[in-house]
Amino acid sequence: MTYPSVDRRRVLAAAVLGREPGVPGPGADDEPVRAVAGQIRDVSPHLILVETAEGETERLVIAPWAKAWHGGDIAPADLPVGARVVMRTREGRVVEHVWADTIRITGTIVSVEGRKDVSVELDCGPHRGRRTILIPYRVTGRLRVRHPQFEPGYLFDAIGVRKDGTAMALLPATSQPAYPARSVPAPPPVYGGTTTLSGTVTWSDAFDEDERGAAYPMMERSDAGCPDAGVSCAALPYLAIGSLLQVRNVCAGRSAGVPIVACGCLAGRFCDRCVECDTSPRGRIAELSPLSYVELGGDLIKGCFNAQIGWG
Amino acid sequence: MGVRDVLASQLPILIVLLCLGTVAKAAVVRSGREPDAAQLGPAVLIPGRFRAPALLVCAAGELALAAGLLLTTHPAVRWATVAFFAISTYVLMELRRRRPDAGCGCFGEVSSAPVGVRSIARTTVMTGMAVMTVWAPVPGWVAFAQPSWGMLLAGLAVLVVLSPEVEELVERARHRAPCEQRPGPAESVMLARLRASGVWRAHRAELASAEPYDSWRELCWRFFVFKNHQEDDVVFAVFTAGRRPAVRVAVVEAGSETLPSYTPVSA
Repeated sequence: MTYPSVDRRRVLAAAVLGREPGVPGPGADDEPVRAVAGQIRDVSPHLILVETAEGETERLVIAPWAKAWHGGDIAPADLPVGARVVMRTREGRVVEHVWADTIRITGTIVSVEGRKDVSVELDCGPHRGRRTILIPYRVTGRLRVRHPQFEPGYLFDAIGVRKDGTAMALLPATSQPAYPARSVPAPPPVYGGTTTLSGTVTWSDAFDEDERGAAYPMMERSDAGCPDAGVSCAALPYLAIGSLLQVRNVCAGRSAGVPIVACGCLAGRFCDRCVECDTSPRGRIAELSPLSYVELGGDLIKGCFNAQIGWG
Repeated sequence: MGVRDVLASQLPILIVLLCLGTVAKAAVVRSGREPDAAQLGPAVLIPGRFRAPALLVCAAGELALAAGLLLTTHPAVRWATVAFFAISTYVLMELRRRRPDAGCGCFGEVSSAPVGVRSIARTTVMTGMAVMTVWAPVPGWVAFAQPSWGMLLAGLAVLVVLSPEVEELVERARHRAPCEQRPGPAESVMLARLRASGVWRAHRAELASAEPYDSWRELCWRFFVFKNHQEDDVVFAVFTAGRRPAVRVAVVEAGSETLPSYTPVSA
């Protein structure tokens, strides 16, 4: 089935049930933080010039305390021209954190090859296809210690950089779940209707560069056109593409209304916790686009934040 | 009551239980979810990729036995049933020793409680019932047509006492997940329920097409959107629980971001 306009669904559902449609965007009383994504055209110690996905050029000031990451912590002025960046800005124009060429490699291991530099083929779910990544020898120990089941059928989640067209994994993004990807534990029983749920929220690089939205695992399979949807070890309610999810970052105290734009079949297979500021309950409840994730106060390198979601 | 009636009395129970086992095992495979150890039963003892086929073979075997018991008096079918339950008893004992965490899997996911003395006693009793029926002079359908109620109820009572699944079902009924977490009926079923509602009959004439152009499920509601003759959106919300669910409707002007041109109606 085609989706004429998924934004329209929110208006129609609100009309028929007599409720407020809700507005996507940050919470009213949060400090304004804007995320900008683009490609670096020029960079100096104090200024950065990026071309955004719409083709516009933005000139931003780099704060003296700004941090940058490009496979490791570097000075913002050392970022290579041409790198794709996601930046967190304050007051709209002041950059305080830059992540360059950062990718998130999440999938089910299909094959593992190589002895020193390891090449791993991953199945990233029915929508995202397969990708092959490289684990350089120097980080294999660090990744393997968090991925003890390094064999086909198990899940893999890492953060890395794209260098010369190769996806390189550098940091583990989670502790690998101990079960094979197809044996997700059942959710705990829930008594009574609640309208909030806690868990972990992660990000994914499978969204468009300038997209704000979330991938959500709990959808009817026929709606999502996805045979893997509707699996989660958190007691998530069924929602649809177009529904609005209220996400609150418990660590940073920020919240936002994020529209669901994709099926998070893979996120639902992870029954892990986030230990960013405290220990979250088990289960990935959503996968955000980098812009939404950064605007909610997340750090792309840390890979997750403890979150509370609300719906309805 | 003659000896013949006594011998045939347990046939209906065996046939019904074999059919239930078939359906439950097929449902586990058909759900597509990788079943965990608790639901698989003896299939956990074999390698992962053979588990689903093993469950299906077991289900097919049960169905064949049930059909054989129902239709014929051939001793081969009767003895095969005895063998099936005797082997099951042995397998469950072995399972209990080797994988104490695994459920018996006899009735699919309902049988997820670890194998206990009761499950083993149940298959032993059923082996006994199967042995009784070996000499029964009539096929299963005759036993169904002329049941000897006393023996039948006694057998049933013994099995209920020995079945951990009964408690599991009662627990499930008491602690059912709220409707927003339960998988809903298929889209076509919901559409049929919408078309059976009074709200639909009241608005049918306005619609330009009888087929929705968009449909989605959110929480406990499934939404269907149609165009009316003025190209406005007519949206129906159907509650996912119940056979005659609540249906609401609203008409939203095309292109409008604002809310309904008239108030929702409840069925």
